[in-house]
Order: sequence, then C-alpha cells, then structure tokens
Amino acid sequence: MSNDKSILLGAVAYDPKVVTIWEGIREHFQSEGVPMDFALFSNYERQVEELLKGHIDIAWNTPLAHVQVKQRTNGESISLGMRDSDRDFHAKVIVRRGAGITSLKDLEGKTVAVGSSDSTQARILPLYFLAQEGIDISRVKVVTFDTDLGKHGDTGTSEIDVLRALHEGQADAGTLGDLVWVNEQSAGHVDSARVEVLWTTPGFDHCMFDAHPHLSPEKIEAFKRALFAMSWENPKHRRLLELEGLREWLPPREEGYRSLEEALKTN
Amino acid sequence: MITEVGVIAVDGGELPLGGGLLALVRPALDRIEPGGVLAVLSKSRAVREDLPSWCRAQRHEYLGVEEIADGSDRHLISRGRFSVPLKPTEAKSALESHDGRLTAADALKAAPMPPSADPISGFAPRGAHIEPGGPSYPFTLNERDRVAPPEVAVLYDQAVSAQWDATTDIPWSKVRPLPAELERALIQVMTFLAENELSALYLPSRFIARIHPAYAEVAMFLATQLADEARHIDVFLKRARLCGRGLGISSVTTSRSLLSLLQTDDFTEAAFLLSILGEGTFLDLLSFIERYAPDEATAELVSRARNDESRHVHFGLAHVRSGLAADPNLYGRLEAAVRRRAAALHGIDGVPAPLQDALTILAAGSTQERAVAKGHEAFRQLLETMHLNRVRRLGNAGFTAAQAKIISELHTPNFM
Repeated sequence: MSNDKSILLGAVAYDPKVVTIWEGIREHFQSEGVPMDFALFSNYERQVEELLKGHIDIAWNTPLAHVQVKQRTNGESISLGMRDSDRDFHAKVIVRRGAGITSLKDLEGKTVAVGSSDSTQARILPLYFLAQEGIDISRVKVVTFDTDLGKHGDTGTSEIDVLRALHEGQADAGTLGDLVWVNEQSAGHVDSARVEVLWTTPGFDHCMFDAHPHLSPEKIEAFKRALFAMSWENPKHRRLLELEGLREWLPPREEGYRSLEEALKTN
Repeated sequence: MITEVGVIAVDGGELPLGGGLLALVRPALDRIEPGGVLAVLSKSRAVREDLPSWCRAQRHEYLGVEEIADGSDRHLISRGRFSVPLKPTEAKSALESHDGRLTAADALKAAPMPPSADPISGFAPRGAHIEPGGPSYPFTLNERDRVAPPEVAVLYDQAVSAQWDATTDIPWSKVRPLPAELERALIQVMTFLAENELSALYLPSRFIARIHPAYAEVAMFLATQLADEARHIDVFLKRARLCGRGLGISSVTTSRSLLSLLQTDDFTEAAFLLSILGEGTFLDLLSFIERYAPDEATAELVSRARNDESRHVHFGLAHVRSGLAADPNLYGRLEAAVRRRAAALHGIDGVPAPLQDALTILAAGSTQERAVAKGHEAFRQLLETMHLNRVRRLGNAGFTAAQAKIISELHTPNFM
C-alpha cells in the first residue's frame, strides 16, 4: 500500500484511449483536491496480483478480475463503484439464418463461435447459462476466438470476430455481449438477412473498482467523492465518460456477480 | 406510420432493430420528453430480444412487452434523461414568402437574434435543439448589441442582389490609349485604390471567426463585403494594367496607415475606422475619380465600386449606432481609437504625394499650366468635401458637432 497521500489506481491498457481517459480523470481528481495517479498494466492477472500485494490501492477491474479479487481476499476487498453500463449486462446467442436453429436445443451438434476464454460476456457466462438451460455443451462444436488474452474481453475484438464468422458462414451460432450486438446493429454493421438474435441470457454485472482491504477510509471517501462528482453535462467530463462507455458512475452492488462466481466454480 | 393518440406509437412491422426499426424509433423518442412513453408495435420476434438491449445501451427504460391482437407485440419505452432535450430555444413563427420572394430579413423575423449567445452552441444554427455537453467555441462576439445591428439582414439582401461581374459588367472595350502623363496618373490612382481595398478585404476577415453564429447574418454580410472588395481589387488592377505601363508607387504613408488599421483588435472600433471614416472618405474619392474619369470604363468601375462602398458605410453606421445606443461609453472608446491611431501615424502630414499629384493631373486632364491649376483646386476642394461629409456622417452616427470635427481632423491623411 502506498503511504503517500495520493491514491494509486491500476488500469489495464487495452487501448491507447486508456491513457487519455485516466489522464483526464486524474486531472479531474486533482481539481477536486484528491491527488491520484495511475499505473497501467498489460493484463488483469498482473493487476490483480499487484492489488493483492498492496502495490496499488485500487484496481479498475473486469467482472472476472473482480470475482477473483473477492475470492482471494475472502470477501474483504472493498467495492467502490461501477459504470451505469456495467449493470444488467446480458449476453446474446446470435444465429446464422438458414442454419436451422430455432431453439437453444438446436445448438447441439452445431458450430458455435465464442469470444476469448477470459471474456465474461462473450464466452464464460453465455456457455454457463446455456448449460443452465439444459444444453449439453460437450455436444456443441465450440470455436474460440482467443484474441487479446489477459484483457478479459475489453477490446471487443473477439466479439467482432464472432460476428464476422457468422456473417461468413464459418459458424452456425455465436455468443457476444449485448452492447456490441446492438451497437453493431445501430452502426449498420449487421446484415439482418444473414444473422439474427436467438436468445438473451439472464443479466449480470460488469466492471468494478476494487480497493485493497486495508485502504484508508479517508482515501476511500475521497475517491468516491471525486468519482461521483463527474457529470455527463460537463463537457470535459463527458468526453472522458464517452471514452469509458458510461453516462454516470453508480455505487457498487455484488449480487450481479453470483452467476460468474458459479460459472467459475463449475469450470 | 406515426400516430399521436395518447402515447406516441410507431409501427415497425417486421423490421429488425438493425434493419430499419431504429430509423422509426429514434426520431419518435426525440419528440417526447424524458420520462415520456413510446409504444413500438412490432411483428419481429428478434425485436423482443434486441429492443431491451438497445434501451439499456441508450439509457432508455424498457417497460415491457405485451402481445396485442393480430400477433403483434407492443413494446413500451420510457425516454431516458441522457438525450437531446426538446425545449425549443425560440418561439416558432412561420416563415412565408411574399410574391415569390423570400428574403434574409423575412427569415430573421421568423427567428430573431438572441440578446446574448452561448459559446457552447457552436455552429448550431439559431433555433436548433442543442444537445447538452458539447465543447465551448472560442467566439468572443457573443452579444447582439456589440455585433448585430437590426438592419443587418436587409443590408445582406441588398448586397446579394447588387453583386456584379468584374469580367463582363465593365465596358472594357471602351478603354483607349491616353496621353502618357494622364495614363501614369490613372495607374497611380488605381494602384492606391487596390492597395487600400486589400486592407479592406483583410480587416473584416479577422472578425468573422469571432462572431457567434447566432449572429450569422453579420458574418454573411461581411462575406458580401469581402466579395465586394475582391471585385474592386480586381477591376482597379485591370484598369491600371490596361495601360501597359505596370503599376504605380506604394508609399510608406499608405503602408503605415493601413497597418495601423489592420492592427485594430476591437470589432466596433474596426467598423468605425474602416467603414465610417475610411470607406466613408473613399465615397468622396470615388465620386471625384468618376467625375474626372478619362473614359467610360473607368467611370463605370468606380461608380460600381462606390455603390458597394456606400453599403459598407451604411453597415458601419448601423453597427456603431446600435453599439452606441446600448453603451454610451462607446463614444469615448471610439474617439480614443482615432486618437491612438493618429498618434501612431504622427509625422505623416498629408495625402501621400504620388496620390496627391495623380489626382491633380487626373482632374486637370492634361499637364497644361491652367489645367493643372484647376486640377489642384479640384483636389483642394476634394479634401474639404471629405472633411464636411465625415463630420456629417459622424453626426449621423450620434456624435456631437464638436466631437465630429475633432475626429474628422484626426483622421488619417491616407483617407483609409
């Protein structure tokens, strides 16, 4: 744990924009009188290790990293906040029209494209939820697009790969997160004549700020105060919020991670 | 497809979300207040999966779906708070043409200029619905009284319909060779006019980018002024070069005077120095040249240039009058601007010699002694006329007779 007055936050550099985002947020924290600095990691595994060792105070974590931190601290890590977009995430099962899939049961025996092994929304949870629905995953030909491992699906690359595989007929069905799916449709990148949605998984929650169990209450309060002072109506903040994919920061909640905890146990 | 009975509803038929449905849903949501409800009728099963996800991504609240008759679904969406507000920024009044004509002045009446403008609205046209959170623009002329006189749209309309063509509207074929001394005088006069008009092209352009687009008519008027100056430069240089003797002298007096004009940083001061004092004085200069023009082409081009210049003077007067009405301190500022410029030009005690001599010879029509004496008298009269008309114009702008006399006497001997 850093002893100086500033908070040291860890984030994973999955894209060059991460520097812009955290430079901007750091500047905002300074203007709120909350000294903060950030350290960038290339992958979440290392970020989690450094948080547990106390080398950083707070980690901006994916759901997978959040659940790992919770488990490894016996639930003592402190959740500080999340994006509005992190709540009620869903995954989608998309099918290629003409693949003869009209129900989930039809997926057995078919080729299903999934995202990176460490992507909660594009692989871990959709496969878990399908199993919960009684689908025998061992009878599904799973094709994994294992890109950007360590980034936990942040880049979205594997989800785009899944969509492309469906459009090109390399897979009969595929799984991806709801945001990528509707954003790709809004942007006109989806050919509705070729692919359509079959099923939506139950909801789950996404990223979380995880603080080290021993972080001082003063720093915790200062962090929350500065974070929740960001506003969509403020042009400077808005640019950062857009880049980070949110409209407002919200308080933490834990119930949205139960399904992921279960999915990791059964793996 | 869109009905407004009770809640707003759109009928998407079989359209998938990514296959056109959003083109109905998004504009319909823009028409209701945050918290208002939109019904989306759909026969697409995929929409059941996609619409809730789209609502989540866009921060609208998906209220649910029910099956209605004929196998259609009715989805209900409550508009989220992070979207473009509907609040109109102006009273809606209809714009109508009259006898097939539609002027900028009519359009201005339908969408009047606000007393002040917010740099956040950027280039959004006046009356557009502004999404909050946009960046702030570096406009500095954000108050109507400092920028936009009420008659600006009328002046813009006049300027647009008064445009002319420097290639074909001047009877260039009427130009004939002149005696050498007269030709040199004409070249010098045209060189001087072109040099001064270049400054009149550059100075207003410095301010256009500072004017808030809520007062776009001012920028649009200035654009016509720039086009006028460009045309004047064009015809003056053509007339000089038709003599086949190159151009005349650019004097240090003119150069210093025009630099002091270009360095004016305040829009109203610039309009005052350039349009009321400079271009106002040029009206008399151009009348003089027209009167003594050696041929029809020269008379025509200075006459057309004078018509354009009188519009610029009119705009300058309107601008300054509206500024003075809002801020009586402006009198002192404008007088100070003239005094500062006069101090900067200290040591220049007369009209640039090459111009003075050229105007004398032009008015004389020859180098014969008695003609030159008459030419000199005409030039002396010109200076007197310029002074009297400046005083009259300053009176029109709202200055007292005493103030007007002092300001006119301090005006640059370079005319502009």
